[in-house]
Amino acid sequence: MSEQGLRLHPIIIVENTIRTAIGLLVLIFVAGVPLDIPILAAIAAVALVVLLVFYYRQWKLTFVRFGETDIVVERKTLFKLKKTIPYSRIASVNLNRGVLNRLSGTSKLMVNINSGHNAVRPEASLTFEQHLADRFRNDISRHIYRGEMPSFEETEQMVRFTTMDVILHGLFSVSTQQTIIGGFFLLNSIVDQYRITVGEADAGPGGTFISLLLFFIFLVLPAVRHMIYYYGFKVHRQGDTIFLEHGLIRTYKTSFRISRINAIRVKNTLASRLLRRSSIEAEVVGIGSDDGSGTTRPLISLLANDAKTQSLLQELVPEFIYERQAEKQPAGARRVLITEGVIASVILIAVMAYPSLLAYDAFSGTGNGIIGALLPYAIPIVTALVVAAIAYSVSVSLKVREVDTGEELFTFVNGILDREAVIMSYDNVQMVHVVRGPLARHFDVSSAQVFLLSSMGKSMISSGLFPEDRLEKIGNIVMERAAAMKH
Amino acid sequence: MDMETSEPTGAETDSYRRLNRKCMLSMYITNGITYTILLAAFILLLIFVPALRESTFSIVTILAAAGMVLLLVYFIVGPRIYYDRYRYMITADKVDVRYGIIILRHILVPIERVHQVEVSRGPVNNMLGLANVNITTAGGVATISYLEIDEAEKIVERLTELINSMLRDRE
Repeated sequence: MSEQGLRLHPIIIVENTIRTAIGLLVLIFVAGVPLDIPILAAIAAVALVVLLVFYYRQWKLTFVRFGETDIVVERKTLFKLKKTIPYSRIASVNLNRGVLNRLSGTSKLMVNINSGHNAVRPEASLTFEQHLADRFRNDISRHIYRGEMPSFEETEQMVRFTTMDVILHGLFSVSTQQTIIGGFFLLNSIVDQYRITVGEADAGPGGTFISLLLFFIFLVLPAVRHMIYYYGFKVHRQGDTIFLEHGLIRTYKTSFRISRINAIRVKNTLASRLLRRSSIEAEVVGIGSDDGSGTTRPLISLLANDAKTQSLLQELVPEFIYERQAEKQPAGARRVLITEGVIASVILIAVMAYPSLLAYDAFSGTGNGIIGALLPYAIPIVTALVVAAIAYSVSVSLKVREVDTGEELFTFVNGILDREAVIMSYDNVQMVHVVRGPLARHFDVSSAQVFLLSSMGKSMISSGLFPEDRLEKIGNIVMERAAAMKH
Repeated sequence: MDMETSEPTGAETDSYRRLNRKCMLSMYITNGITYTILLAAFILLLIFVPALRESTFSIVTILAAAGMVLLLVYFIVGPRIYYDRYRYMITADKVDVRYGIIILRHILVPIERVHQVEVSRGPVNNMLGLANVNITTAGGVATISYLEIDEAEKIVERLTELINSMLRDRE
């Protein structure tokens, strides 16, 4: 290492060039710039050379220094940058290997700090040869964990999920709304194709392709993405640190301390509920990576049956388990929800009556497939479905939504189709709002909004409708505990 | 300072404090400007889009006009209700704000969680000598609105002092 510091591995020149080139190509394609192939090829060649020179210079002039107290990343290009990351502020340091990293024998070292600002991206993403990246990760970990060196070594406590678990998770963790929309487009494409085949309808422009494409976008792509992302999922806890390892194309090795978890979410979709499976997510700030996974909360358990989920909660995050005494919404909430539902339905029907008549006149006798047959009645059908959805959500909300205030933890249970129980620690709450609308005031109930630091920056978790003093209690406990900690 | 109630003055109190009456004037001016712009846009639309005057769209026009009337009522009545309901309190441990016109909100922010405090002034507030105090935590921002500038500065000073002493204690 020179006095200036250490250079990153030159593979980042290729990686950055490819990423920018793809971005430019997409831009040209989207903008619909009409260009001849030879001109396009010439521009591409020149752009490639310019990008390579630019990123070569950036690589040449970027240095990293691992000091006693901090990491310094310095870029001496036209736009100069000097970033100092004190070890004391680092929340996690993770390794990440994409295809190019595997081909070049390198790893990306992701350094994240515990901040809501810029939470979904690491503070520094540093590519080194694999053995160097491992060594630096260990060195940084020693600073973070003050000598108690966590490792990814396999232990007896390691919980493995089978490939079938990963497939089931991919299929059934897609939100119910997306599944319904995707399923509708699949059904429409099948009916369209049937009508074209038996000669009832002509193949229009695109035929059944658009419906199939939408089915893929809404349902298949998210499911496949989950399967690739969580392939080979392993989790274990060693001391106060949780380790995660997963990924098919790009591999992820993530670790974080229990103290960094602000909340635990036990989640299930409608489909996974039918299979009696739930997944567990942790709200941890500072574990983002810059490849798109930063917007994903860390899962500490894929969809697993209820018994396994409970045992994993016990094993991985016992700090978030307590004797719960859940409270359902009171009679006042029932009145508020029913009144709101009726008002919303009446307004919706009144607003949609006239457009329904116009749509019937405009679309009678046009179009193919389910969409074509339903088009004249689309607005009344959608209105009726929305009214039914409102009635369903009122009834389910009354059954599902719960609040529970323990001594150190409290829980909100929410959700209509996809449900989640969010277990939060009073000590990690940033701010509490207790909110009362006119109807809620009339029926003497309120809802609470709890603000936390999360893996996506910040998150707000709402409760159902409960007596005001019940929810004020959460704020009061937060204040008491914060004051006790201060003194 | 023109305080309406007999509550104690100073940036730190053990009882709720109210806003200065000038907050209503600030809201009336802001609402007046906003309403004038909206009304002008609505009238211009009616003049330059003849379709809106045709019978097919009459219901849309009537609904929009009704919306404008409701908004006018809200803009006239709102500031008084806002002023009457607004309460805030800053103790050594927390910032507590209660406000709302249609939806009432009670905000509690532990001083422990405050990262940053700032005073902000828009042109109308600036003209009337009022300011907002924005209290930033890692989970979001809470605002105490329409404070007299001196009061806002005192609150910021007090909160900064509390945060600094807390950080010193930690070290």
